[in-house]
Amino acid sequence: MAEPRSSGTSVPRLDGPAKVTGRAKYAVDLDVPGAAHGVAVRADRAHARILEIDASEATALPDVLAVVTAASLAPIDVRFGHISRDHPALAVDKVRYAGEPVALVVAETRRAAERGARLVRVRYEDLPAVIDAEEALADDAPLLHETHPGRTGDEGFHNTGGTRLAGNLCAENTLGWGDVDAAFEAADLVVEGEYRYPMLYGYAMEPYNATALFEEGALTVYSTAQHPYMVRDDLALMFGLPLARVRVVVPYVGGGYGTKSYTKVEPLAALGAYATGRPVRVALSVEEAIYTTRSDGAVVRARSAFASDGTLLARDMDIVMNSGAYSDNSPLVCAKLANRCFGPYRMQALRVRCRSAFTNTTPASSLRGFGAPQGNLASELQLDEAADRLGIDARELRLRNLVRPGEQILPGKRGVDADLAEDLRLLTESLGWGEREGVGFGISASDAGAHPTSTALVRIHGDGSASCALGATELGQGSRTVLSQILADGLGLPFEQVAIVQSDTGVVAYERTTGASRTTTLVGRSLLAACDDARRKIRELASELATEVEDAPGGVVADGEHLGYGDVIRRWFGSGGEVVGSAAIRKHGEFEQLPPFWEIGASGVVASVDEETGRVTVEQLTTVGDVGFAINPALVHGQDLGAATMCLGAALSEELVYDGSTLSNPNVVEYRVPRVGDLPHRVDQILAERRDGIGPFGAKGGGEGAGNPVGAAVAAAVGRLLGRYPRRLPLTPERVWRLAQEAEQRETETVRG
Amino acid sequence: MQILSDFRLHRPASVEEAVQLRAELGDGAALYAGGTELLLALKLGVLEYEHLIDLKRIPALKGIEVRDGALRIGAGATHREIETSPLVAEHLPALSTLARHVANVRVRAAGTLAGNLAFAEPHADPAALLVALGATVELVGSDGPRSLPVEEFVLGAYETDLGEDELIEAFVVPLPQLETRATYLKFQVLERPTVGVAAVARNGGAPTVVVGAVDEKPVRVEATGEVDAYVDAAREAVDPVDDLSGSAEYKRHLTGVLVRRALEALAA
Amino acid sequence: MTATTTTTRVTGVINGRERTLEVDNAALLLDVLRDLGLTGAKPSCEMEVCGACTVQLDGLPVSACTTLAVELDGRTVETVEGLARSDDALHPVQQAFLARSAFQCGFCTPGMIMSAKALLEANPSPSRDEVVHWLEGSICRCTGYESIVEAVLEAAEAMRDG
Repeated sequence: MAEPRSSGTSVPRLDGPAKVTGRAKYAVDLDVPGAAHGVAVRADRAHARILEIDASEATALPDVLAVVTAASLAPIDVRFGHISRDHPALAVDKVRYAGEPVALVVAETRRAAERGARLVRVRYEDLPAVIDAEEALADDAPLLHETHPGRTGDEGFHNTGGTRLAGNLCAENTLGWGDVDAAFEAADLVVEGEYRYPMLYGYAMEPYNATALFEEGALTVYSTAQHPYMVRDDLALMFGLPLARVRVVVPYVGGGYGTKSYTKVEPLAALGAYATGRPVRVALSVEEAIYTTRSDGAVVRARSAFASDGTLLARDMDIVMNSGAYSDNSPLVCAKLANRCFGPYRMQALRVRCRSAFTNTTPASSLRGFGAPQGNLASELQLDEAADRLGIDARELRLRNLVRPGEQILPGKRGVDADLAEDLRLLTESLGWGEREGVGFGISASDAGAHPTSTALVRIHGDGSASCALGATELGQGSRTVLSQILADGLGLPFEQVAIVQSDTGVVAYERTTGASRTTTLVGRSLLAACDDARRKIRELASELATEVEDAPGGVVADGEHLGYGDVIRRWFGSGGEVVGSAAIRKHGEFEQLPPFWEIGASGVVASVDEETGRVTVEQLTTVGDVGFAINPALVHGQDLGAATMCLGAALSEELVYDGSTLSNPNVVEYRVPRVGDLPHRVDQILAERRDGIGPFGAKGGGEGAGNPVGAAVAAAVGRLLGRYPRRLPLTPERVWRLAQEAEQRETETVRG
Repeated sequence: MQILSDFRLHRPASVEEAVQLRAELGDGAALYAGGTELLLALKLGVLEYEHLIDLKRIPALKGIEVRDGALRIGAGATHREIETSPLVAEHLPALSTLARHVANVRVRAAGTLAGNLAFAEPHADPAALLVALGATVELVGSDGPRSLPVEEFVLGAYETDLGEDELIEAFVVPLPQLETRATYLKFQVLERPTVGVAAVARNGGAPTVVVGAVDEKPVRVEATGEVDAYVDAAREAVDPVDDLSGSAEYKRHLTGVLVRRALEALAA
Repeated sequence: MTATTTTTRVTGVINGRERTLEVDNAALLLDVLRDLGLTGAKPSCEMEVCGACTVQLDGLPVSACTTLAVELDGRTVETVEGLARSDDALHPVQQAFLARSAFQCGFCTPGMIMSAKALLEANPSPSRDEVVHWLEGSICRCTGYESIVEAVLEAAEAMRDG
């Protein structure tokens, strides 16, 4: 392919004018005529058998249309779930967490529905609840699922630890090689510790909402979904409809970050519509959103063995994730955490066990980088501790152990398509490592890209312009702009001559998901392939019009004459017409070996600590975006800073806190996300473009990587300032103050040799 | 679940009218000005009223002025009006600074000082400084006006001495004499202060130190002598509880840190 | 003087146009604006901390989610929809947000723009710290804020020069 013209430049975002004028319509802004409103009645306890749901007072209200329960919907099976079909949209027989929907009140107005919801009386018989993940895995723990849910069998999730599951074990993944015990035996230094990563609420600012309607034997749902096709599949199964008769439409989305992956609130709206025959809109509050999905908290018990020269010999990681009441995507997070917890380092022996536990808490699922931030904290901090113990510079210790370009992190998987050592050099230079106080940094590599299925349809129109309808969702990351750049370059057209339609399963080509930083790389590649297909068809048409046809930018040269695409189309059809190119990529050929690419994280901070109050201030943040080739550099910077800032929140303040079985902070007043005042004074964003990705023009994904090492980086900076490394995030002022208090009493570590 | 129940809205044009409404409607009515605290409580269903008495159309409650050697802040003054008032900046810069850091710009634009005090949410900024400054609150009710120190007005968490037929007319802060210094420092991790410390020193005399946001109401620190004595006394005086902002132990420690910093700032 | 109904007839100016509406006393300004089709202001935290629903009431920024609709009476409300007649005539704050790509998902953007506009009307030459202080109560979950601060400073300059 020719060198790109549009790709590689920071063309302005296509969604800009709509977004700065308030014109951009989000699902919550849609006005579906005749829509009734659904409000969920939610469980006020963590674990209980439902004895009776008395809706008589609610249904007596004049504007209430129906009170829908799982029992009232029979024979519809209200359960859904892409990995395990264990998640009832409305509780069946019992509730498994406080905040779980028990009934849906559908009324003419939102107010009436809320009133009605307050009047539904539910009688429960309380059951013992378990909130802590490790307690949930004990033999005598209260059981959440009497029958283990099993797996749906979806190919994309075949590695999600689904065998031999019992009790409250939602998923288990093990991984390793070599003789771990012998390596630890022979080590000069063993660093050992228990690390805790908090449960988080992603706070996408538009809370989950959906409007559903049945019409002409088909179900249409407007929603906030990141993966409209996955939602379509769940809904088709629930209502026994052919895939062709379920349409999921996603307008602009107010934040995703993984929180809107997979099915969330869509079944509630659809069940309400099914029960009442009316379009039904269900729009959650932030509090309800917190009761819908959070991220998996993790306790990581880690041991790392080193030789005296700093060589990493072996790691032994035992992880327990708190995954909440239903599987959602936690089994995949579990698999990824297992893969991502030991870092992109060479070692002769490794043992990883990662278990995901059901607990009586909000179901956990994807959040930006899932698995990586949880594991990175332990992995990187142990390198920092080892460096201190061995008297080796922490950067040098990493350089000694980092995998080289092409080297495998996971046996049998794709070798690393990045130069991590060079990324680390760029990072530490920017941070003034070795010269300044309070520097912390980290490296991560994630098996990203998800299952490499993507399809694209490209249409070249009668005037030579081109459009594409694809299933990747514009979440704010800028995919519409980036994919338009790729489309323009794929056809040799100016950016102004292309357009993209996204995320309407009734219209666009199939796309598995929008997540795992896959869009630019995988959708970009299927899009380029569809461009090639369209160009081939243009040449075919042209060869019916001329004897000698050659490819040319934006068209062909036919018998010496340059013909634009439009010329070919108009001449061949006589009038109007269009040419359609299509393509698909799948786990095959170039994409046979997983992951499609490694997503790199190389981020660091310079921090200061007020030791009297424990307040941590991040003075500088540096990100290195190792993205192969930045199709749109400004958008890459935006993703990197956004990811890093989100993880600064987890590092310093964000944490869902349970008091007994009650969530103490189900709101953004007491769950503190980063504010503008938390923005570091200096932000240094570096791009490393080595054209080493599998994506268009050597690109590979970004958007999660920059965040993954931030928790560890902040912890390392604080640890260096205080002389004692923290092992638990977030580093609230009180925790840092206590750490400063304890810093004198240094813990004994196992030093041998 | 955030819906407000129906209520009747009253918009008295004078203090007398408002007092009469208070007397008529009793505890079925809430006084309403900025609404930044009240509406949240109504939305959450924590409070419910059949009547709201909107005080924003009463001219007598407006304005900030200097009268009889004191700064008089009308009950209707918003945090933003206090923040940007040249009179406050000239005479009580510590109060300007405090107002500038209340909640966020939208809350400051709508919320009033009187509403803040009358709501008596313990985790708030203004009370501690007003107490340290020796401010009084002017109330008016069916039996006429009365005035009492802010320190006596705030009785506890969400509890004040405001009578059922009364409303706040103004706060009166005696103007500092020459050489008077005042400061307010706070430490905050969530939306409301974890600890706030007000310190006022008049004419080189012993400082008055008041700790806010920790206990149910502002706590006056009784001490004399060196800074350490105040720090120790403050740590003794407060009775913190564990909550999402921190443990009792940490808040006691922070109280000491802030008292020391406030007194050092006064001395600087 | 004694109100007998739970609704109130209010007359106020919304985006330059006088409107008379019969509103429920219990109705929130955000809901009334959105029912009028002005969906730029967004519902999010519902507790005055996120700023997504920010509109200007007599020039000052307020949380429309926690403001009674009756406050419209005799007042002026501006929403993001009132700022530009067309994409070619954007307000300098909008222009700067566009130029700096000071948004990603865009959900916070209307509120952020209205808050920034209120700042620049109150203080045409804010320092960086003043911009940060003013926007402390406006949450953006996507950008990391830097581009937003830059955009506001750029808009200030444009408005001073303009």
